[in-house]
Amino acid sequence: MGEERDFRKVEYFENRELSWLQFNHRVLSEARDKNNLLFERLKFLSITASNLDEFVMVRVASLKDMVHADYKGRDIAGMTAGEQLEAIGRGMHELVDVQYSTWNRSLLPLLKKEGIEVISHHEQLDEKQAAFVDDYFETNVYPVVTPMAVDSSRPFPLVRNKSLNIAALLKKKKGGDKKDGDKKEGEKKDGEKKGALEFATVQVPAVLPRIVELPGGKDGTRSVILLEEIIERNMDRLFLNYEIVCAHPYRIMRNADLPIDEEEAEDLLKEIERQLKRRQWGEVIRLEVEEGIDKRLLKILKKEFAIKDDVIFFINGPLDLTFLMKLYGEEGFDHLKQKPWKPQIVPEFAGEDDIFANIRRGNIFLHHPYESFDPVVDFVKQAAADPQVLAIKQTLYRVSGHSPIVAALARAAENGKQVTVLVELKARFDEENNIIWAKRLEQAGCHVIYGLLGLKTHCKICLVVRREEDGIRRYVHMATGNYNDSTAKLYTDTGIMTCDRAVGEDASAVFNMLSGYSEPLSWNKLSMAPLWLKNRFVALIRREVKCVSQGYEGRIIAKMNSLCDPVIIEELYKASAAGVKIDLIVRGICSLKTKIPGVSDNITVRSIVGTFLEHSRIFYFGNGGSYEIYMGSADWMPRNLDRRVELLFPVEVEENKEQALHILETELADNVRSHILMPDGTYEKPDKRGKALVDSQAVFSEEAIRAAEELKKKKEQLTSGRTFIPRERPEDV
Amino acid sequence: MASVTAFAAIDVGSYELELTIYEISPKRGIVQLERLRKVIGLGRDTYERGIISYERVDEMCRLLHRFQLVMAEYQVENYRAYGTSAIREAENREVVLDQIRVRTGIEIDVLSNSEQRFLCYKAIAAKENEFNNIIQKGTAIVEVGSGSTQISLFDKDALVTTQNLKLGALRIHQILARIGGMAEDRKRLAQELIDNEITAFKKLFLKERNVKNIIATGVCAMYLGRGAHADKQRISAEEFMEFYEDLRNMGEDQIAEKYDIPSEFVSLVVPGAMVYKRLIDATEAEMVWLPGVRLGDGIVAEFAEQKKLIHFAHDFSKDILVAARNIAKRYMSDRDHSAVLEKNVLNIFDGMKKYHGLGKRERLLLQISAILHDCGNYISMKTPGECAYNIILSTEIIGMSHKERVIIANVVKYNTMEFDYTTGDVSLNKSMRITIAKLTAILKIGNAMDRSQKQKFKDVRISVKDQQMFITTSSPESILLEEAMFSHRADFFEEVYGIRPVLKKKKGA
Repeated sequence: MGEERDFRKVEYFENRELSWLQFNHRVLSEARDKNNLLFERLKFLSITASNLDEFVMVRVASLKDMVHADYKGRDIAGMTAGEQLEAIGRGMHELVDVQYSTWNRSLLPLLKKEGIEVISHHEQLDEKQAAFVDDYFETNVYPVVTPMAVDSSRPFPLVRNKSLNIAALLKKKKGGDKKDGDKKEGEKKDGEKKGALEFATVQVPAVLPRIVELPGGKDGTRSVILLEEIIERNMDRLFLNYEIVCAHPYRIMRNADLPIDEEEAEDLLKEIERQLKRRQWGEVIRLEVEEGIDKRLLKILKKEFAIKDDVIFFINGPLDLTFLMKLYGEEGFDHLKQKPWKPQIVPEFAGEDDIFANIRRGNIFLHHPYESFDPVVDFVKQAAADPQVLAIKQTLYRVSGHSPIVAALARAAENGKQVTVLVELKARFDEENNIIWAKRLEQAGCHVIYGLLGLKTHCKICLVVRREEDGIRRYVHMATGNYNDSTAKLYTDTGIMTCDRAVGEDASAVFNMLSGYSEPLSWNKLSMAPLWLKNRFVALIRREVKCVSQGYEGRIIAKMNSLCDPVIIEELYKASAAGVKIDLIVRGICSLKTKIPGVSDNITVRSIVGTFLEHSRIFYFGNGGSYEIYMGSADWMPRNLDRRVELLFPVEVEENKEQALHILETELADNVRSHILMPDGTYEKPDKRGKALVDSQAVFSEEAIRAAEELKKKKEQLTSGRTFIPRERPEDV
Repeated sequence: MASVTAFAAIDVGSYELELTIYEISPKRGIVQLERLRKVIGLGRDTYERGIISYERVDEMCRLLHRFQLVMAEYQVENYRAYGTSAIREAENREVVLDQIRVRTGIEIDVLSNSEQRFLCYKAIAAKENEFNNIIQKGTAIVEVGSGSTQISLFDKDALVTTQNLKLGALRIHQILARIGGMAEDRKRLAQELIDNEITAFKKLFLKERNVKNIIATGVCAMYLGRGAHADKQRISAEEFMEFYEDLRNMGEDQIAEKYDIPSEFVSLVVPGAMVYKRLIDATEAEMVWLPGVRLGDGIVAEFAEQKKLIHFAHDFSKDILVAARNIAKRYMSDRDHSAVLEKNVLNIFDGMKKYHGLGKRERLLLQISAILHDCGNYISMKTPGECAYNIILSTEIIGMSHKERVIIANVVKYNTMEFDYTTGDVSLNKSMRITIAKLTAILKIGNAMDRSQKQKFKDVRISVKDQQMFITTSSPESILLEEAMFSHRADFFEEVYGIRPVLKKKKGA
């Protein structure tokens, strides 16, 4: 007692990159899970591939930068950048091995069993198929490929980041084929080097589908082949007069992190536009080649891309497994796919079309994708058309291609409303997209703020200012997910709609700060990062410790995407040591370790990986019996708490609190989709023996359907009944 | 919808510009909708160079333009914009204000220090439900600003005096920074600096007054409140002292972090806390109130009061009168004479209502002129007019603007002197000169009615007929002296109004 224990020891923390690899393993385990439908498994495998691509491009790249900069700092687990790269390298190789053994040993045979043959090598084509493929090449592929040979007069071409290519070694045909007269000159030039090997590369065109279906085989079997195999088979048609010695697909990944020097950049917009062009020229940080690639060819690639062996991945199967997502999208095979989910109606919006009237009746809790995202879109749409609305203010981080929200905001500005939109240009990989529609909004007359210098604006908030009978009323939507109607069908997110005065005042203050004004004199209910949020969380955690010391139960349940902030983790350790019971639901990275004696005995961590991407952030604090629930946009990561504008908002209405708590409790009971963090840092599925199966995502889906059906029944009763139902007072003003 | 009025208050402060949007309705009173603040260091220009630079004006105009967009957003039609000391003290004030007017269309009025305090005080009264209870107990409103400290004292339920001490947080900070040396020495020095001023204040104004409550306003108080006790509107003296001890032992960075104070304000916090600490010691106050009001809150309260949109329980013009009577008392005015004079001039003012075209505010100015009319005697019986003029110009009367004070000073001056139409006072504009002439004419007549200072004129009736104003009294005593004095003064009155005042004794009296 009394003695200060050091909760900051490096052995108490897991490196975030290694933890991320663990996460991707969990996704991969879904691809390996026989209980999942075959096409769902393909999808999971595809996700692991695109996840890994992003990981390499962003995380590995930034570690490389640190090594180049000779940065000697250590992470919370005590590792230098070099040590991390080494460990990650090993981990990635392991992961890739599992990916391809899953593909080759489980999925490929299962597909065959289901009558789908994926022809991995063009050599396996039968005659009829071969003829089709050659014809396909001639008519579709040939016109769009650009073969590039390399010799002393032609430098090594730019190979695009993430693109799939075929490298080949060529050899002049003996005596040459004289039918092409134009070639004579070149022939002469290379005459003296006859017999020497030349290098050539061809980019597999991204404009063509990666998967090509072959004409129907016997007994209804469907056969597909990958585009690169078609090209490989026809390489000789691209390099006439040459003999193709060998040809193999390869793929590179370049450093794509955007280190923007904002002090120097006059105009952020211009800087990002410039960076986008430059990105393709980054350092090569990964090379994927087909297993069994010709050694001479590999040597050339290594030399040209200036890479070492440890970043080369030998792939036993097709490169870039993201094509499996395309395969998933192919017509048919419905019995092998989960039925597409249809988000259900939000009960609070069932009765009346007027969104504002519905919100005036009480705060509304939204849970996507179980419940529809439409009310959020309608919120902005209706505001845009409502003559009583004076202003709309919104943050936009990532939006969908043809975002109805962006369209509505533009319309609102055209309707003479004051529209302020903060567009986050720095949302990773979306810059190009974001710039286009940001300009569109500006043209429509919106006041567009192009992000803040040095900070990413990650909070999701929309404020509608409306003039009403008794004065100004502010309507606010705050959420854990982006204003993106597409991802809202796939990501689990929560949100609140309210016209609470105090929240409205805070919401205005948020936008004022985003517009460059000073902080408000005080906040009512919201907490904002990077200035206040971390301290708020620390205070909330410490309050639980205090509860324990006063003889109450200390209790924290927190759900988020990632947990790696050292300050927060230290506080959690202290709380655990003091006797606070802590259950964490962390989908991705988790640098906290469980069951360290005297440090984290009272902490459990589980990760839920399901059909929908777990994305909501919900925080429960017991507060000695009168519990509090918060939701927000921030994970417990330094980047969220220190370098982003984030918001945390309380869930206040009793009914809403119960809804939020229900989500947490159901997920803690989940024994189908959850993986439990073990003391050794690995994750295991919980023991299901003798227990009823709980699949939290399925539970929420069923509940949403049931609620919608009940509503429907009620409506039917209304229309078919023989009694009149008097309406209740429509709203309490 | 007509019952709800949107209003914008713009505070052009020395350190930051602030726009606050309010909604005023009979149902909910004054509700703040939005508050925007942005740091623009006007004070740095004014205090260091005497003028506001063009760059700063440009910056201000751009910000004011953005304010206008927000005002448009709420469809605000009524606004008031006030500048405080940085504008007030800038030599190029008029040019700056004109620039702003031309470029943005925004009219900025300059507040005198006492007006500014009065608005703050109105804001407190409007916001604090318990205000009238608090001030029953002996209360001081203290605002430690960056350049000075303002202390306003209450007696029972009325404000009696307000004093400005040259004890600003920024000023103290700068003096200490210039001195350098050991931290402990500097702290001791700061203490001495503060004690000097406070001791003098205590001797002259505090006297035996019992101050139980200190109402602390201003930015300094706000951040102190955050540190001493978050979320609380009042803290006990002991709690404050504990916090002060804690503060003393920390560096600025630590303070900023521990108490969540923006770095640009943290250097003000320690000197600010010191001033409050010494004041609590000097007054033995028990409680510190932190109403957290801003100037904008006072601006809207004043607007709402003037437009009769809301009604205050507290009578503010009474505060002004009580403060004026306190000044008169200090300069040993003849209270009985003044009381009759007050009554007489107000009588004349009211009777002449149709002819002078002046309003309620001028009536108040006349009343204060009457209260202060003989304060010059305290210094010199030979030149009481000029002495009174100087006293009034150098004494703050809470709630009075500088212009109003100039009017009062002139009225009192010409009460005993020949009126000079070409007075050399350059601060007078045309309408002020006319007001001075009109009020002086009335005061002169009123004074003549009690020449003997024996309050002979009682139950006076005023009636105007055929270019004559009849002052009828039922006094049984002889009014010979008064009548003798009268005619000369009546000439001036006639000059101003074109109406001849005539003294009449009621028949049978």
